[in-house]
Amino acid sequence: MTDAPPLSREEFQQLCDYLYRRTGMVFTETKRYYVERRVHERMSATASLTFPSYFARLRSNAHAELEHFINAFTVNETYFYREDHQLACLTNDLLVERTRSKKAGSSIRIWSVPCSTGEEPYSIALWLLENWPLVDDYEIEILGSDIDTQVLAHAQEGIFGKRALMRLSPHLVARYFSPYQEDQWKILDELRDSVRFSVVNLVERNDTRRQGRFDVIFCRNVLIYFDDASRRIAAENLYENLLPGGFICLGHTESMSRISPLFEVRRFSDAIVYQRPAGGGDHE
Amino acid sequence: MPFIRKTGDVSPPAAQDARLILQALASPVSEDRWMAARAATELEDADLALSQALRTETDPRVREAMFTGLARIGTPVAVESLLSMLRSDSASLRTGALDALRMLRSLGAVASQLLRDADPDIRILSCELARSLPAAEASGLLCELLAGEQNVNVCAAAIEVLAEVGGPEALATLADCAGRFRSAAFLQFAISAVRDRINVKSASTRD
Amino acid sequence: MNNLKIILIVDDASLVRLYYRSILEPAGFRVMEALNGVEALEKLQSVTVDLLIVDINMPLMDGLTMLETLRQKELRIASTPALITSTESAEKDFAAARAAGANHYLVKPIDRDALVQFARMLCGEPL
Repeated sequence: MTDAPPLSREEFQQLCDYLYRRTGMVFTETKRYYVERRVHERMSATASLTFPSYFARLRSNAHAELEHFINAFTVNETYFYREDHQLACLTNDLLVERTRSKKAGSSIRIWSVPCSTGEEPYSIALWLLENWPLVDDYEIEILGSDIDTQVLAHAQEGIFGKRALMRLSPHLVARYFSPYQEDQWKILDELRDSVRFSVVNLVERNDTRRQGRFDVIFCRNVLIYFDDASRRIAAENLYENLLPGGFICLGHTESMSRISPLFEVRRFSDAIVYQRPAGGGDHE
Repeated sequence: MPFIRKTGDVSPPAAQDARLILQALASPVSEDRWMAARAATELEDADLALSQALRTETDPRVREAMFTGLARIGTPVAVESLLSMLRSDSASLRTGALDALRMLRSLGAVASQLLRDADPDIRILSCELARSLPAAEASGLLCELLAGEQNVNVCAAAIEVLAEVGGPEALATLADCAGRFRSAAFLQFAISAVRDRINVKSASTRD
Repeated sequence: MNNLKIILIVDDASLVRLYYRSILEPAGFRVMEALNGVEALEKLQSVTVDLLIVDINMPLMDGLTMLETLRQKELRIASTPALITSTESAEKDFAAARAAGANHYLVKPIDRDALVQFARMLCGEPL
């Protein structure tokens, strides 16, 4: 891999143009080292002998190559309190807006999709308990969904290792988990029972509609990898799954500008999120 | 714990019959039209109804759903409707139609046909469609277009996509184009940038 | 220099953005980019710019829709000067741009000197 020639200025430009157009991510000369390293890693992994042949592979997205490439630049590992600025945004801003017109005791529905092995929906529950003064004033329903039944089974078990808990203080771990086996902890039954898990294919409207409508949806690091057609359909499905005025959070490096024009952008101090317009119905 | 866990799924609305869905495309409530547009994708013969509804739809979100519907249905009637909207005076209808066409499986045939259209505005838009094709196919179509193209903006659109898909096979066509448009500053700039990229590419493949 | 005027170029063609940048930066402007109307509106949430150069035909959200949406927002960004660019040159196209809230309209391909002159004028700079 160290023998691979560096990217020429033109090759680097061509790659950056492509990545910017496809994902919205901006890579400049200052990131050259990291981009080049990733290109060489992927060229090696895909047995691509030249940059042009690798670029062709990336363009065609053969075997999800775009996702493999981008993985090096996003937080793709899942763990508790990943991208916690979005959790901060949830309590500081999103729920403040959502509860403005809700009576005490009414429901708040939050969806984590894809939820993978459960870190995200459980994190939301934990965060709300720890950070939201009004947590007892509403009926909060948290749903975690994924297309992969194996990761869902894992999520239902609620057993996590050291790495998954690395961002949690010892105090939080002690409070909400009990030691399980060697270097494993199990989330408290009460919390485990608080989150419902379901199998959902985001592109399948019959799946998504069954989940009902939500105040907040976390849909991180998945849409950007779908092809054009699937992305549109998934975005429309998610729009349907939002209550008017409801919010959707994407991955930190993702933007609706590469996905769908349906949502409005809202900038809060902790995060940029997207919103289904609140308008009752007709703007004609 | 303040969290509640409902045991069941929300039951989806009972399947409506086709007639009701198509009627709802004309509802005064945009939410109803949205739902109808999305449900219509699963109906046979919704292509005509969706095309007609699209022409009078003013809510951009409902239009988006209708465009998606037409692209998914993909019948000749649906595709024809999308193609006709490429010629619309409304920029948002043109964008909607182009984005929908990108979803088609038969994209190659459509792009190829559009690149030969008499209207330069259509040729410009179809260069973007070619981008979604495999590189070799796209490059071939765009070079064919470029070779005989007189309109400077169409050339610019083709060259923009060749920056991504063009290989050594495009060099001759690009050089020829540069020769034909010597006083077009942007084209000279664009052609030069793309030739630089391709020349470096062909150098590296020799290693 | 911190008092450079900032121009947001909104065009889905990378070579067009590169070309404008190659003209406007030496002319003393700071340049930012977006490739469709959705991205432009998103960037304007975080940054105030002195001028928008907006193409009409772009994926997801065209330039006129973007401008109409912008003009309805809060005053800080709603009043941003906007130069519309397009390959179209019919009176109805100028009219549509005016109706959307454009300050000026230039037909592509845009002459280098014209770009700088209009940029300066619309940013309130001496010519």
